Amino acid sequence: MTHVARPMPRRLDSFTLASEAGNERPALDRVARSVAGLGLPAPRVDRLKTAVAEAIMNAIEHGNGNRPEIPVEVEVTQDGDQVIVAITDQGGEAAGKAAAGGDAAINAAEPDLFKKLEGAEGPRGWGLFLIRNMVDAVHVMTDGQRHTIWLAMRTGGAADAGHV
Amino acid sequence: MPGTCEATTRAMSGAAVIELRGEVDGAAARVLADAYEHAVTADGVATTVVLDFTAVDYINSTGIALIVSVLAKARAERRKVVACGLSAHYREIFDITRLSDYIELFPDLDRAVSQLTGPAA
Repeated sequence: MTHVARPMPRRLDSFTLASEAGNERPALDRVARSVAGLGLPAPRVDRLKTAVAEAIMNAIEHGNGNRPEIPVEVEVTQDGDQVIVAITDQGGEAAGKAAAGGDAAINAAEPDLFKKLEGAEGPRGWGLFLIRNMVDAVHVMTDGQRHTIWLAMRTGGAADAGHV
Repeated sequence: MPGTCEATTRAMSGAAVIELRGEVDGAAARVLADAYEHAVTADGVATTVVLDFTAVDYINSTGIALIVSVLAKARAERRKVVACGLSAHYREIFDITRLSDYIELFPDLDRAVSQLTGPAA
């Protein structure tokens, strides 16, 4: 039997941004540029960009409390046939409760549009829902103050919800 | 820096048209609310509000919430909301959020308006 060594994950880009509203825009464009050579079809790049934008918004607002001096870290990695974007804030468990309280919260986020239209729910609350529906897999982990969400998208094939 | 959003309103074929440009995010809250009020006030008989997204290049979850708020207000006032000019990606987002259950989508403004003025089915 011939064994083929699995390629090591390859870091495509790594950067930080100040925790200020709106900073997700240049960041998601930069992430899109970093995956440009991977053959992701344009509709899937759009999906990844939306998920990255929402995760960064959560990190800025809920993780770092809109404090510009606390950076959001973004790392883009190619691992086999998937691209993984890791977004880290310094919100620790508080960020988890406010925005992405672990994998269970990611999967439980199910806004009800009818209730929102009737005023029984507030109009917001779409971020985690969009993240979950835009990428193939999502994983959240808190290590002390570091709160990281990993967004994974296969570079080929259709989306299939799951975990990294 | 938060994105910029601009809106132009006009009456077309009995509909109140809101043409949006730029980014529909949290910074668009005032623009969108004012545009809605101006559009329906200028044409007090308008029973349909058309949201034209042709010149919009970014919508985030906060923008979705703003659209939900406009839709809720319009429904409370018994006005219909339709949308046009969404890219394929944002049409998908309107589908998965189920906004497209409540907001009929058209490829462009001409087709949205012609549907409003066309013969009854």
